[in-house]
Amino acid sequence: MSATSASAVAVLRAAPDPRLAAALRALAGTVGALALAALLFGAFLVAAGHDPLAVYALLWKGAFGSAFAWQNTLLRAAPLMLTALCVVLPARAGLIVIGGEGAVLMGGLAAAALGVHLGGLGGMALLPMALAGALAGGVWIGLVGLLRERRGVNEAIGSLLLAYIAAALFKHLVEGPLRDPASLNKPSTPALPDAARLGELAGSGVHAGLVIGVLACVLAHLLIHHTPWGFGLKVAGGNPRAGRMVGLPVGRLAIAACGLGGAAAGLAGMIEVAAVHGAANSALAAGYGYAGILVAFVARQQPLAILPTALLVGGVAASGGLLQRRLGLPDATVNVLQGFLFLSILVAEPLFQAVAQRIRRRRPR
Amino acid sequence: MAALELEVVDLGKRFGDFVALQGVSTKVAAGSFHALLGENGAGKSTLVKCIVGYQMPDEGAILVDRREREIRHPADADALGLGMVYQHFTLAPGLSVLENLVLARPRLPAVLDWAAERARLEAFLDTAPLHVPLDAPVATLAAGQKQKAEILKQLYLDRRFLILDEPTSVLTPQEADEVLGLLHGLTRAGRLSVLMISHKFREVEAFCDEVTVLRRGRYVGRGGVAELGRERMAALMMGSEALPEPPARAARVPGVTRLRVADLAVHDDKGVAAVAGMGFDVRAGEIVGLAGVSGNGQRELVEALLGQRAVAAGVLEVDGAAYRGSRAEIDRAGLASLPEEPLKNACVPQMSVADNLALRSFDRPPQTRLGWLRRGTIRARGRELIAAFQVRTPGPDAPIAALSGGNVQRAVLARELAQPRALLIVANPVFGLDFASAAAIHQRLMAARNAGAAVLLVSEDLDEILALADRVLVISGGRIVHETTPAAADRHTLGRHMAAH
Amino acid sequence: MSADVDLWAVPLAVFAGAIRAGSPFLFVSLGECLTERGGRINLGLEGALVMGAMSAYGGAVLSGSPWLGLLAAIVAGGLLGLLHGLICSLPRVNDIAVGIGLMLLGIGLAFFLGKPFIQPRAPGLPAFELGAWSSNPLVREALRINVLFPLGLAACALMHLALTRTRWGLALRCVGDSQDTARALGLPILRLRLSATALGGALAGIGGASLSLFYPGSWNEGLSSGQGLMAVALVVFARWQPWRCLYAALLFGGAGALGPALQAAGVTGAYHLFNAAPYVLTLALMAFASERTGAPGELRLSR
Repeated sequence: MSATSASAVAVLRAAPDPRLAAALRALAGTVGALALAALLFGAFLVAAGHDPLAVYALLWKGAFGSAFAWQNTLLRAAPLMLTALCVVLPARAGLIVIGGEGAVLMGGLAAAALGVHLGGLGGMALLPMALAGALAGGVWIGLVGLLRERRGVNEAIGSLLLAYIAAALFKHLVEGPLRDPASLNKPSTPALPDAARLGELAGSGVHAGLVIGVLACVLAHLLIHHTPWGFGLKVAGGNPRAGRMVGLPVGRLAIAACGLGGAAAGLAGMIEVAAVHGAANSALAAGYGYAGILVAFVARQQPLAILPTALLVGGVAASGGLLQRRLGLPDATVNVLQGFLFLSILVAEPLFQAVAQRIRRRRPR
Repeated sequence: MAALELEVVDLGKRFGDFVALQGVSTKVAAGSFHALLGENGAGKSTLVKCIVGYQMPDEGAILVDRREREIRHPADADALGLGMVYQHFTLAPGLSVLENLVLARPRLPAVLDWAAERARLEAFLDTAPLHVPLDAPVATLAAGQKQKAEILKQLYLDRRFLILDEPTSVLTPQEADEVLGLLHGLTRAGRLSVLMISHKFREVEAFCDEVTVLRRGRYVGRGGVAELGRERMAALMMGSEALPEPPARAARVPGVTRLRVADLAVHDDKGVAAVAGMGFDVRAGEIVGLAGVSGNGQRELVEALLGQRAVAAGVLEVDGAAYRGSRAEIDRAGLASLPEEPLKNACVPQMSVADNLALRSFDRPPQTRLGWLRRGTIRARGRELIAAFQVRTPGPDAPIAALSGGNVQRAVLARELAQPRALLIVANPVFGLDFASAAAIHQRLMAARNAGAAVLLVSEDLDEILALADRVLVISGGRIVHETTPAAADRHTLGRHMAAH
Repeated sequence: MSADVDLWAVPLAVFAGAIRAGSPFLFVSLGECLTERGGRINLGLEGALVMGAMSAYGGAVLSGSPWLGLLAAIVAGGLLGLLHGLICSLPRVNDIAVGIGLMLLGIGLAFFLGKPFIQPRAPGLPAFELGAWSSNPLVREALRINVLFPLGLAACALMHLALTRTRWGLALRCVGDSQDTARALGLPILRLRLSATALGGALAGIGGASLSLFYPGSWNEGLSSGQGLMAVALVVFARWQPWRCLYAALLFGGAGALGPALQAAGVTGAYHLFNAAPYVLTLALMAFASERTGAPGELRLSR
């Protein structure tokens, strides 16, 4: 063994920065889980009579294989970053919120309803629209937190029910009071004026929502890990009793975390409306709220880890069309992969630990 | 159905490098009531766990009725007629006593005939001296009745040797006497032998025939309770270590009222009034001891005082102003607290030791400057406190849940008492600690009082209250039922008030 | 027809809907009830329900027999339930998160495998024509009782008896109430929980079959409207009693029939809002009527 590698081992042994070590451990766990998911999904494909290697090759191609694929992936990753925050922020308060889709719809609808009237504001129209979207989404998920803290309604179920209610409200308004009479076979709100449209990033084909998504994740990271508010939130989420003992407003912190998460998801709705659809219609209910749950869990509820994870999940979604065209696979193929991915993330760590423990137990002392 | 004799010979058990038991031998004669004494960590629990099959001894033998037996599993102990009653209750709270007893019975048929089961149980009850309502859910029973149901279960299962692990810690003195009296009667009738872990000399003297004493995993002595006497038993438990000085109480006149509670009502988890019409004051420079049997509203009261539980009605004031337990109010009041079960009540288990040490201070300079949390400062401060209070931890970044109970307690002590505080709310602060650590905490409480702090000490240990308090209040059924001073107090009167509701 | 007659039809349609749309609620809430009696929550019953609906339809198409389709639904749902139990037996795994994962997987698998069955017609389950005496088509339609509904009544009775009168039921309740007690008694905790979650999944599968083989009686990707998730709220409302699950299911079935019934009667303005009635009802029940009495002690429904 050379001197340098020996010293490298010594450095590793001499307890490196514990935060770095923890991050590395988490990364190893995630990679293991991804491998497990790939294995399970591969076995499923074989059982269904498909060649897993061809599918994986095509997945790669559809997600990252060309400039067009990258563009497609990034367009999907942008809203996923924001909807993942709608899971991550409440998770810091110990809540599992899975109804971000409702906030996307409410945010998009609010932005569309307001934006129609802002043609005269020029480029400034986007700011009130963003605020309206964030506010609508924030109130919607804030309500989930409120129901949880004040009435004991389980937040996972409460947020899902509210997502269903949001979908009904959305349809009612888009097909009724807010409908553009000119939208015949696809009920929509009136088309947004140009001033209220979110533009592209310098000829990339990717809209500016991507920057907003990245920025939101970085801000969330700073908020969670580098402010006393984030510390208090972690305490309140980790053990509410201890939080109350040291005087933290535990309930209010949880509601605020829900509200902030909802605001992020509402912003995602606004971005989709302003950059992609140009109006609020059923295309907004594309499932970004639900896919955000997967992103958050794979990212282990860490805002910065959302960035690569959103690319991964967005890429998988982006390649769905290619799988359908080239291999004749149903579009639900992507959902199956996502299901395996979610379960693998939950199972991998305890499973690996249980196996390691068994091996350790077998080794003679 | 005759009582069993049990003997252990040269029993040893290690956990890694830690020697929990070494060369322990003793004998419980058939039909006797035997006490097992020792400090925390003396190996009592390990010994009884080996006997009932929760752990396997590394060396030595267990003899039941003079035959060596291998007890690898609780089922083996069951088959031999050895049973155990725990400190905490083990009956399923949502099921009725009848359902609990039936479920425990061996050879239960797949389809239940409740009429037959009830008849069978009632026939058994006619021969047992204990009576418990059969159809009420266990959760609705009083503590004494639950403990009786636990013992009833053991008898229903034909146990002829019973181990009791501090069985009276949740009972009033009167309830304890009743339950232990019943067991004593069963030993005299030759139906049962009993081995009881206890730290209450009063109960040992009243009910036990013989005693075995352990210290640091080793056998140190054995003898008749009457021959040994209280002094000798205590000396055996403690060994040659010098007893710490009892805390010195400075003579002082109590000052202004710091904490005032009047007509306070607090509900428990089910929304039932746990505290009602409660009123008392705590003044600067005094320790007020709140004595009572567990489950009479102490937990809910302390939680309300700490802001962990909503106040349903009444007045809760600190320094004459309404108090809700916000960070600003806590700061102004100079409040600190040692709640019971510190990991559950006062720590965030998955956060690091350093973070847990910062729970009171994280949002103030120097830990936070200009809205920015300084993690390096939090860690450095954590290191200092870990060293100053001798918290044994792999490091400031280890999750606090990885620490032993005593070290978690020390960490909370470090956080709460590192700087002088003016108002202390303390609940069973030395529960589970050895003599030396307990004495150190008592010293600190007394020192705080001597320096002018107002201290509320809620404890189920009457000795602790009588040693420390300036005034003694008795809580029962969620209200204060008696007030006295340690000098004027006598145990019998206090016990009667504790049981009154 | 005059407006009066149309409005008179609304309560009739709601009654019919209570039974017709209540059947999936009944089975899936019984499944959730059984799962929760063992101390676990399974949000994945939504996945089991959708998977059951697909399996039932596909099985019926392939075999030509709706009964074989039902069997396929039971097996598929049971397997997903079993998987939930197995994963939750690993240390430090959150049962709610696992449920979400299984919901995703179950729905994904059902859509993937069910793609070829969207077009063909499957033979439906038979029904009892209790309204044959009436000449009114509305009455006849309302009294056409799904064969699964009496099966659901039988399942209620059986579950009630199993929980109260068998060793298995008593032991399961003990596991759900206090794991420590169960361990001290040496009960086979894992096996009991697995049996409860697998049976619970199978019941949810039957609920799915009632969607695809009776009402609405087709297979497509929008078939379920979250009945498997709402089951959790129904069980709270039912206080973990099988018979009360029946009342809850009828109530929710009726609420779900309100929108279509009003639309049929010509009240169309707020169709989508009326469709949200079951969700609003669930939320209201959980917020205002959610006494936790009777909740199994090991259940993590609220901290």
